This record gives sequence, structure tokens and C-alpha cells, in this order.
Amino acid sequence: MKALILVGGFGTRLRPLTLSLPKPLVDFANKPMILHQIEALKEAGVDEVVLAINYQPEVMMRFLKDFEAKLGIKITCSQEREPMGTAGPLALARDKLVDGSGEPFFVLNSDVISEYPLKQMIAFHKSHGKEATIMVTKVEEPSKYGVVVMDDATGAVQRFVEKPQIFVGNKINAGIYLLSPQTVDRIELRPTSMEKEIFPAIAAEKQLFAMVLPGFWMDIGQPKDYITGLRLYLESIRRKSPEKLSIGAHVVGNVMIDPSARIGSGCLIGPDVAVGPDCVIEEGVRLSRCTVMRGAQIRKHSCVSGSIIGWHSKLGQWTRIENMTVLGEDVQVKDELYSNGGVVLPHKEIKTSILKPEIVM
Amino acid sequence: MSEESEKVVAVILVGGPTKGTRFRPLSLNVAKPLFPLAGQPMVQHPILACKKIENLAHIYLIGFYEDREFALYTSALSNELKVPVRYLKEDKPHGSAGGLYQFRDLILEEDPTDIIVLNCDVCCSFPLTDMLAFHRKCGGMGTILVKKVSPEVASEFGELVADSDSGELLHYAEKPETFVSDLINCGVYIFSPEIFIAIQDVKSARHDRAVLRRLTSFEALQSATKTLSADFIRLDQDILTPLAGKKKLYAYETQDFWEQIKVPGISLRCSALYLGQYRTTSPHLLAKSDSKGAIVSGDVYIHPSAKTHPSAKIGPNVSISANARIGPGVRLIGCIILDDVEIEENAVVMNAIIGWKSSLGRWARVQVKDLFNYSCVEPTGRYQGGGDYTTKLGITILGEGVSVEDEVVVINCIVLSHKTLNRSVHEEIIL
Repeated sequence: MKALILVGGFGTRLRPLTLSLPKPLVDFANKPMILHQIEALKEAGVDEVVLAINYQPEVMMRFLKDFEAKLGIKITCSQEREPMGTAGPLALARDKLVDGSGEPFFVLNSDVISEYPLKQMIAFHKSHGKEATIMVTKVEEPSKYGVVVMDDATGAVQRFVEKPQIFVGNKINAGIYLLSPQTVDRIELRPTSMEKEIFPAIAAEKQLFAMVLPGFWMDIGQPKDYITGLRLYLESIRRKSPEKLSIGAHVVGNVMIDPSARIGSGCLIGPDVAVGPDCVIEEGVRLSRCTVMRGAQIRKHSCVSGSIIGWHSKLGQWTRIENMTVLGEDVQVKDELYSNGGVVLPHKEIKTSILKPEIVM
Repeated sequence: MSEESEKVVAVILVGGPTKGTRFRPLSLNVAKPLFPLAGQPMVQHPILACKKIENLAHIYLIGFYEDREFALYTSALSNELKVPVRYLKEDKPHGSAGGLYQFRDLILEEDPTDIIVLNCDVCCSFPLTDMLAFHRKCGGMGTILVKKVSPEVASEFGELVADSDSGELLHYAEKPETFVSDLINCGVYIFSPEIFIAIQDVKSARHDRAVLRRLTSFEALQSATKTLSADFIRLDQDILTPLAGKKKLYAYETQDFWEQIKVPGISLRCSALYLGQYRTTSPHLLAKSDSKGAIVSGDVYIHPSAKTHPSAKIGPNVSISANARIGPGVRLIGCIILDDVEIEENAVVMNAIIGWKSSLGRWARVQVKDLFNYSCVEPTGRYQGGGDYTTKLGITILGEGVSVEDEVVVINCIVLSHKTLNRSVHEEIIL
């Protein structure tokens, strides 16, 4: 079975992290974002994943060779020469997706993190027997998104409404689709939108069904949502595979610490924290609601909350980092400094406190 | 002394990527020495000045950027100038004198009588021929280019006291807190090969001192004692300062313009200064109004492959790089337009740097709050009128591939690469 992951874009909203790596390779819960999706697809029976990319293909390909070997799944790239929108890439990758077997294929949006109930999605798709299935998720403020108006009993999709002014429904497109091969015939090789052109056409023919996503859903394309997403993700791990979470006197709530990280005595870590491989957390450090990426070093008595510490960064002693601070790769913060929402570009040395949210180049 | 035996070697210190982040965001896309001013890479201006010296045997660029950043540039330039231009990569930063010392064998290979040393991020007229004549007449170990500035400006640089008759350097103070002199070190030097002996002496003295003091391993680790490291030697503080007053060094004063290009805002001013210099040195590089292209006002450089509409008005102080397209009714003032930029009808750009492949929609407006008048005399940002272009948001910078939609206004902003602006923004950094 095949799958297409729409990677696209420059990931500018996740800067400064995406100044060092393309977005799909930025770590989330201690592994590259795209690995979460590739693993979920493999588990659902997919044996070939196509990545639709248009930026830094060389960097992506190097990582992919690694994953291919480790996961035992075939990974290829389909490179857009110009932006193809959200549907165009399917037409571009037609030869890889449509193999004549008539099997449906998955399409995933790479910015999204969720529980990926893909086996259930396949079962639902088979049961209604129509052309396309789309995963939807319930949100509090639907008018920020494109709303999918559907029959709650059958799941039949009636129409799409982009950013509705009045309440028409609270289910939005979750960015996970299961499509029959003939859907690709509808898509011309030009910049095309799934939501605006293709899905409405399929819905009009009563061939589009929606399944409500059980569990959490988050678009982690920007730092604020990344941190919320981590909380939801760790909650879901607590329910499904709690053995993956860390335990100990120094842990409170849901925390994932990579086995190769070193934690000093007297630390208090959690809730909702991910500490990546080879990190060094010295004694007396407090971490809450934050991500510490691979190779970062946090020296004694520091306190980090609600922030993202980029790869190989170094925080001095007694530093206090909070309120959506995002440190890019290899940022050094001197002893005793304070950062309130600083957004710091890679390789920068911070020598004075950042008192209010600002970008530091 | 016959002319043939007076060989000259030039060394340009180009620094490296981690040395400073002050040239961001431009340095995120291109090595600072290669950023274009008045249509030519920053480092090309001192290189062309060196080329005017008779018997110039070799030009070396020393820095710690990766080799590949300069490989294409140096080989193309060597062919064009018919003088070998070579990039030498330091294994790690050794300081300005340390870098020179590391490559002393190469520099002295052709037995030069004089070694010109220049800092790449200096923008000036490089009066090397006259300075070399002065240096040879004085017969000292080194001659430093100096310029008289106001006392406030002087405190940001190295201040020199020189004898007004002989030009001998009497005293040197780096960024002093109190007034020492209004003559500053311009970062342009001419040395005799003796300079390497002076550097060697300092290295040995440091090593002996370290051994004598028997640094504890704790002290050795402290980065505050970096100056004690035998490896990191700065030209000004460690070599020249102690030599002042010993009849070894001389000062050569210039009245011409001088700037140090530390932040992107200053590069706009320096581009304007070099454009002004073209009037005397390379008038063929300056654009003129003609029937095929735009109306040109003041000093403007337009790359031959760029296309400008006849109804556009360009200048003063504008530099347009290769393949740019300037549409009808566009107005450009005091800006640098980089390669492949497309500017649509009636857009306006003032005091901004527009990055490679960016595009401005119709009636887009990219500018600063107060327009600068670049024909001021004081260096480094002090002048009449306008805002301070040396501050972080002093000018507007659009990175690579930025798209500004129709009618959008962008004022005093920095926009990183590949962003699309569909609403007006003021005084913001957009990542």
C-alpha cells in the first residue's frame, strides 16, 4: 500500500528551528516530525511512502536513507519544481501512487500530529465503498479553518465552507485522506487545491465520506502549537504505551527523556517535557512544558518553562528561560540570565537578559 | 633600488561566519565579504585597489570561511585580473596577526619588499600607491592608514597619536574611554617583512610568560584569559600598540571617506560612497539615462543584464544586480536591488536592501520612516536628518525570495527569506 506525505514549504513559522533543518526533520518528542507519520503508516500496512517536497531535497534524502534502512519501508521523493498547491503533488507523483492494483492510498499533511488511527480509517473506507475518505477533527473555533459539513450518522460529506462567518459545523479537515486511485484523474498537473477544487467536486458526486478523528490533533507548524501538541501527544502516550514515559523521583506528569540523556541530582522535570538524545541536564534544574533538543546542555540550578531549546544549545547556571522562548541551534546563554520570550537565531551568544519577547539575530 | 626587485604582496583579512552575527540577516544567505556594494562584492573593492600597485605579485584572502565559499570567486578573479588571488583558510580563528603569521611562508615566498594588509570590511578609497611611497620613504616596519574624525566617533575605534612632522606613531589606544586622539586606525596597513619577527617575538614572550606563571589548569580554561593564549594574536592591541613610540611605525593620513561595514545599514551607505567614487575611478560603470532604460538620477549602477522600464526613475545611490526587472513607473532611491528581483508597476523602494529573487507587487512600498541623505561626511551613522541606519531596524531588508503583494507597505522591517507579505508591516522582524 502507498502513501504520500505533503511536505512542501520553507517552514518559516517554525523559525529559527527551520533555519537549521527542513521542517519535517525538526524533532518532536525526540524524533523527527516526519518519522511519527512514517511509523504510523508502516503500522497500517504501507510499504512505500512518497514525500512531496520542494525545498532542500538533498538534506531530506540523506535522512531518508537512514530511515529506510531502520524501518524497512521504501521512501522516495517527488520534487516540485514550482509550488503545486495541496493537490498538484498527487498528480506529480501519479506513477508512484497508482500501481494498477486498485488499492487506495493515504495522503498526509506533514505539519499534523495526531493518533493516526489509520487501520480504522481503512476499515471505514472499505465499509462505505465510495471514492474518498477524509479524517476530520472537532475544534472549538471552526471559523479559523475550512469546515466540513457532513451527515453525522453516515459520515457523508455535503460541502466544504472556508472560514464560515456563521456556525455551520465544528468539524475541520484534519489533513489525513484515504483516496482511491481514480481521484488522481481529477487532478490536473498545475497548482491545485484539495479543499477548494477537488474535494468539493467529489462531495458533489456524493463520493466523499468523513471519519471523526478519535484522540488529539494539532498543527505543530509554529512554536506555540508545538508546545501544546507535545502535551497532547504525551497524554496520548500515557494512555496507550505508558512504558515509553520516564519515571522516577525527579519526574512529575508526562515526561519523555531519551535514555542517552544525563540528568543530575535534585532536578524536577515535568509535566509535559521532552528531553532529547545526549542532553546534559545538571543538578537542580527545573524543566516544565518544554522541549530540550538533542545535545543541549543545561547547567546547574536553571529553570526552563514553556520554551523550546534547540539542538546543542548551552544554558549557563541559574538561567531562567520562559514564556515561549525559542532558541535555535547552538545558542549559548550566559550564567544567570533571563529570557522572557526571546526568539534567538542559531549560533548566537546571549550575553544580556531578554526582558520582553523579541527576536535576537 | 631597481623597480623589478620591489615585489608587493597583498593580504585581505576576511573573517569567518561565526565571528559576528551583526551582519545578519544578509550573512545568512551570503558570506559577508561577497555581499555586493555598488555592484561588486565587498572584498572586490580592496582587491581592485591593490591591483593598481606596481609589481603586485599575489593577493591572499585569509579567513575561516569554508574554502568552497571563495573557490569560484577567486579563480574567476585571478583569470580576469591576471594576478593570482588565493583564499587561505585558517584552521581556527587566530586573531588578525595570528592569521598572518600562520601563512607567513606563503606570503614571503616571492620575497616581497612590502606587504599590504587590509581588513575586508573597511570601505574607503584605499590610497595605496601614495601610502606605499610614504611607507618606503619612512623606511619603518609598518605604516598605518589613519583618518581624523570627531572625538565621539573616535572612541569606537583605535586611536593613534602621530608626530605631525615625521608621521611617526607615538601612541596607540584601542577604544579608549577617555580622549586620546581624533586620529583613528582605518584598518589598512603596509608592512615590511620584519613584521613577522615582531609577531614571533610576541608569541614567544607569551609562551614564556605562561610557562613562568605556571597557569593552573583552571586559569587556562577561563576564556577571559584568551589574550594569554599564544595562539590568538590581534594585530592592533598585541603587535602595534607595544611598538608605538619606538620609531618603527608610521601613520599616513587620508582625507577621503572611510567606513567600517559592521551592520547591513552601513552597507547601503558604503554602496553609495563607492558609487560616488566611480565618478572618478570607473565612470563607465555608472548608468546614464537613455531611451532604452529608466531615467537615472545621481550615481546609479545597473548590471547589463538587468531590465528597467523607461518610465521608472532610479537614483540617487542605487545599485541593481544581474537579471533584475524594474517595471513601469517604479521609483528607487538609496537602495540595493540584488539578483533576479522583480519590481512591478509603480512600486517604490527607499533605503532598503531587496534580496535575491524577491518580488514587489504593484504599488508596493518598501522604505524607512525618514529618508536618509547619504551625502553626509561623518562616518558611522551620525549625520543630519533621517533615522539612524546603523540600528537593527534602521533600514529595511528583504531576504531571499520575499514576496511583497500589491499595495503593501513595509517600513523599517527585516524580513527573512521566502516570506510573503500580504499586509503592511512597520518596525518588525519577520522570521
